[in-house]
Amino acid sequence: MIRNYFKTAWRNLKEHKFHTFVNISGLAFGLATAILLLLWVQHEKSYDRFHKDFSRIHRFTAHLDANTVWEGVPGPLAIYAQSLPEVEGIVRINEWNGQVLATEDRSTVLDGFTTAYVDSTFLSLFNFELLKSRPEQLFPDPYSIVLTESTAKKFFGDDDPLGKVLQFRGDNLTVTGLLHDFPDNSSLAFDAILPMAHYAQRFTADGGNGQWKTIDVDMGSYSFTTFVKLRDGAHPEVVGKKFTQLYKDARNGESTVQFNLQPLADMHLVSADGNNAAARMVQIFLLIAIMVLAIAAVNYINLTTARALVRAREVGIRKVVGASKVQLFLQFIVETALLFCFALLVAVGLIVVLLPLYNDIAGKQLHFSLSNMEIWKVIGYSALGTLLAAAIYPALLLSGFQPLQVMKGKMASGVGVTLLRKALVVFQFAISMVLIVATFVISRQMTYMRKLDLGYDKSYVFSVALPDDAVEHIEAVKNELRNHPGIVNVALSDMYDITNMGNATGDLEWPGKPVNSSLIIAQSSIDKDFIPTMGIQLLEGRNLTGTAADSNLYVVNEAAVREMGLTPPYVGTPISFHDRPGTIAGVVKDFNFKSLKEKISPLLFFHWYDGSMLYVRTTAAEASNAIKAVEQQYQKYAGDSPAPFKYNFVDQQFEAKYRTDQRAGLLFNIFAGIAIFISCLGLLGLSTYTVRQRVKEIGIRKVLGASVASIVQLLSAGSILLVVLAVVIASPIAWWVMNTWLDDFAFRIDIQWWMFVLAGGAALLIALLTVSWQAIRAAVANPVESLRDE
Amino acid sequence: MIKITELQKFYRTEEVETVALNNLSIHVKAGEFVAVMGPSGCGKSTLLNIVGLLDDLDNGSYLFNSIEVAKFNERKRSDLRKHNIGFVFQSFNLIDELTVFENVELPLIYTKVPAAERKKRVEEVLEKVQIMHRRNHFPQQLSGGQQQRVAVARAVVNNPKLILADEPTGNLDSNNGNEVMQLLTELNEQGTTIVMVTHSEHDARYADRIIRMLDGQVLMETVG
Ligand SMILES: Nc1ncnc2c1ncn2[C@@H]1O[C@H](COP(=O)(O)OP(=O)(O)OP(=O)(O)O)[C@@H](O)[C@H]1O
Ligand SMILES: [Mg+2]
Repeated sequence: MIRNYFKTAWRNLKEHKFHTFVNISGLAFGLATAILLLLWVQHEKSYDRFHKDFSRIHRFTAHLDANTVWEGVPGPLAIYAQSLPEVEGIVRINEWNGQVLATEDRSTVLDGFTTAYVDSTFLSLFNFELLKSRPEQLFPDPYSIVLTESTAKKFFGDDDPLGKVLQFRGDNLTVTGLLHDFPDNSSLAFDAILPMAHYAQRFTADGGNGQWKTIDVDMGSYSFTTFVKLRDGAHPEVVGKKFTQLYKDARNGESTVQFNLQPLADMHLVSADGNNAAARMVQIFLLIAIMVLAIAAVNYINLTTARALVRAREVGIRKVVGASKVQLFLQFIVETALLFCFALLVAVGLIVVLLPLYNDIAGKQLHFSLSNMEIWKVIGYSALGTLLAAAIYPALLLSGFQPLQVMKGKMASGVGVTLLRKALVVFQFAISMVLIVATFVISRQMTYMRKLDLGYDKSYVFSVALPDDAVEHIEAVKNELRNHPGIVNVALSDMYDITNMGNATGDLEWPGKPVNSSLIIAQSSIDKDFIPTMGIQLLEGRNLTGTAADSNLYVVNEAAVREMGLTPPYVGTPISFHDRPGTIAGVVKDFNFKSLKEKISPLLFFHWYDGSMLYVRTTAAEASNAIKAVEQQYQKYAGDSPAPFKYNFVDQQFEAKYRTDQRAGLLFNIFAGIAIFISCLGLLGLSTYTVRQRVKEIGIRKVLGASVASIVQLLSAGSILLVVLAVVIASPIAWWVMNTWLDDFAFRIDIQWWMFVLAGGAALLIALLTVSWQAIRAAVANPVESLRDE
Repeated sequence: MIKITELQKFYRTEEVETVALNNLSIHVKAGEFVAVMGPSGCGKSTLLNIVGLLDDLDNGSYLFNSIEVAKFNERKRSDLRKHNIGFVFQSFNLIDELTVFENVELPLIYTKVPAAERKKRVEEVLEKVQIMHRRNHFPQQLSGGQQQRVAVARAVVNNPKLILADEPTGNLDSNNGNEVMQLLTELNEQGTTIVMVTHSEHDARYADRIIRMLDGQVLMETVG
């Protein structure tokens, strides 16, 4: 019996090539797209879950006030842990980016490493794979270093790295272990790890932090990302409260900081301050995957029920000769399953071909290997889900036909089915419409951000981190550079990245400051050239002077005076910054120094010390010469400083901040395209059947003198009406969805009515082309043929 | 074999109610060959569909082999039908996607006859209707008469006790028509009960008895 089902199914697929082709391509594209999306979603959700006890591991976050959350916490927390029975283990991590490592003879000097000082408990908390370690201990003494395979390869090739020596910040360190490279779904990823003891030694040698001389007592530096592993059954909130209390006690009750515990598994998608934009993105992509599958399933249902009209007679005959409803139901299920197998094969092929491109666009390193169980899970679930959604209704419908009625040519449930089919077309096009609008809105927002006036001029400015010696002689360096024809201006600051300035404080006093004020103000040391060099606009008062007087002059932005609640004139207002009394010398216009997703926050410029970041404004034509000139100065003062010369253009730093959003935008375009394509395949299939059903009618009409145009109109009108309905339904949904998305941005466009008109027009046009293709074919056909065909 | 009494059948559409069969009673004995005649629209096909358990009735009683089937549901009717009744239609009603062999095999598949047995029986019956040489052809590749012979083969392959034929020669010329009538007569001689609807006096004369209908009622019966 089963064999017979397969034979019949195979025969049917082969006989009706067009139907099969449309169905398979719709399903294959749908499955391929959805599986790619789901692979991405799965990868995002797999972060940090490979640790055996991930569910018991938490990260500390420090809540300074309602708006300020830091990922680093003070070192002594690790000491407190010893007195808490709930804590099984704790590890502090102190991470450094852009580090330089060199071989002992300095024959190889490489930059750009991410290193981390870690407590020796690191590998007992986390399950990172240690490939080799010479002594039993990972770090036998403070001058040890453990490398990842890739890092070791860079310095020692295929030689055994154990026992070799690397230079790091002037110290010679012995390689005592080799780690497998950190997995790409690990939030923690370093090129080398070093013993915390090394950091502790340096800290103490450098004089510590004020009264605190070791990292284990320093309560002022929030510089350790710290993870705890709790015992089974311990409550993270309770443990967090205990740490908070212990810290408060240690500070004699003078602390309002709260320490919370964030699950390790959430760390990748939810930032320390609770911002879950990334998690939302994953949800959105999951939703899109489901929608694409839904569209594909709907397609199948539509096409199959449309063809049911043609197959009804077959069903009737089978029933008359003895087929039961169950048998027919199974037959149609087998047919769908068979079609699905082909579609799945094609989909897997598509995935293999498209994965590199997809990785490129999504900025991922997803691997597709059929031996990966996880991938099969994704494929299995999506295929099975879609199969169930697509197979059951048509099979029920077809097997339910009453033989008498269908053989007489009367459809059993004509109205209901047609209505359902229409509803499904509306559904498909509504989704497509939402995606088209999303595409418009996202690309407009991206353009808007790129072209937004940031309040300073980000073009042709680059920054360089100067060696200490150059900072000592900064006036000479600046003079030298100013004389270069390709350099418009130079300035010094401590701002590492003007497009994302993180340094902020609450340590500011002013007359009339409310007692409960929780104002946090961004702070940056600049020289008198910075404001003019960056093209920041001075609204009131004056700039820094470049004289000793600068040490008690402050320049603030508009947001600062507003949030401090000052009244004009602002200039001359006495304020105290980090206990240094001074006055406001000038007010600058607000400019964006953080993500455009955030409002411009208060900012204060001061000048007590020199920063080490040189900002250089050049021109389009002279940029490369300017860089050379700066490098010359750099090398002149570099001495034995190990860091190689490096520069960053501000506009590129800016672009990099929005790469994820741009990627999301691009992916959206692609998925919208695919969704529309699949919907059109469905519409194409449907219109083919509509036309086929009316072949005779068309023939008669033509014989009676109908024009081609009038017939095309007759055949297309119905479908077009459905698309119009879809547009009407989808518009408010699209508006709501995209408005919610835009709410993430403090600097955003407004959704315009023309976006809906354009999107609707596009959907209509595409639908019209699809439908009229079939209609025209039917309309121009010779009527005699269609009439003869009985 | 068939004992129908006081049968009523209505068709309701939005505007009108048609009485297709009105207090009709007939009786067919096992082994009989009965022809049903009458003007178009008098209810012949409706009657045949009810006899064949394809359709239900509104009033009256229907004893099939002494079993009351008037109240049978779709599943029970289907069960009874597939083991006892074969159908031949005016428009052949073969499945275009299946070959001659497969079309004839179909009823055996649905009654779960094993494959080897199926092959034997299909070949036997194809032999009998003299279409064996076309066993691998598709219906569209056959003449009307050949197609109807296949349809007859399909109707009898399960050895049904009753064959219902609705204008089996309606789409055939007289030569082909006669061949099919010959076939039905042979089957009847071998013991199969046959009820046939026809417009042709000539074909009706093959039957033992002719029932003439008018407006959903039996007008008269003639025994041949
Ligand atoms: N599905 C239906 N819905 C409504 N009325 C119907 C239906 N089927 C048949 N009828 C009506 O019932 C009556 C009997 O129809 P039936 O098909 O039995 O006639 P017939 O004797 O077979 O005619 P013909 O010789 O033309 O085949 C007719 O008046 C017909 O219009
Ligand atoms: Mg009839």
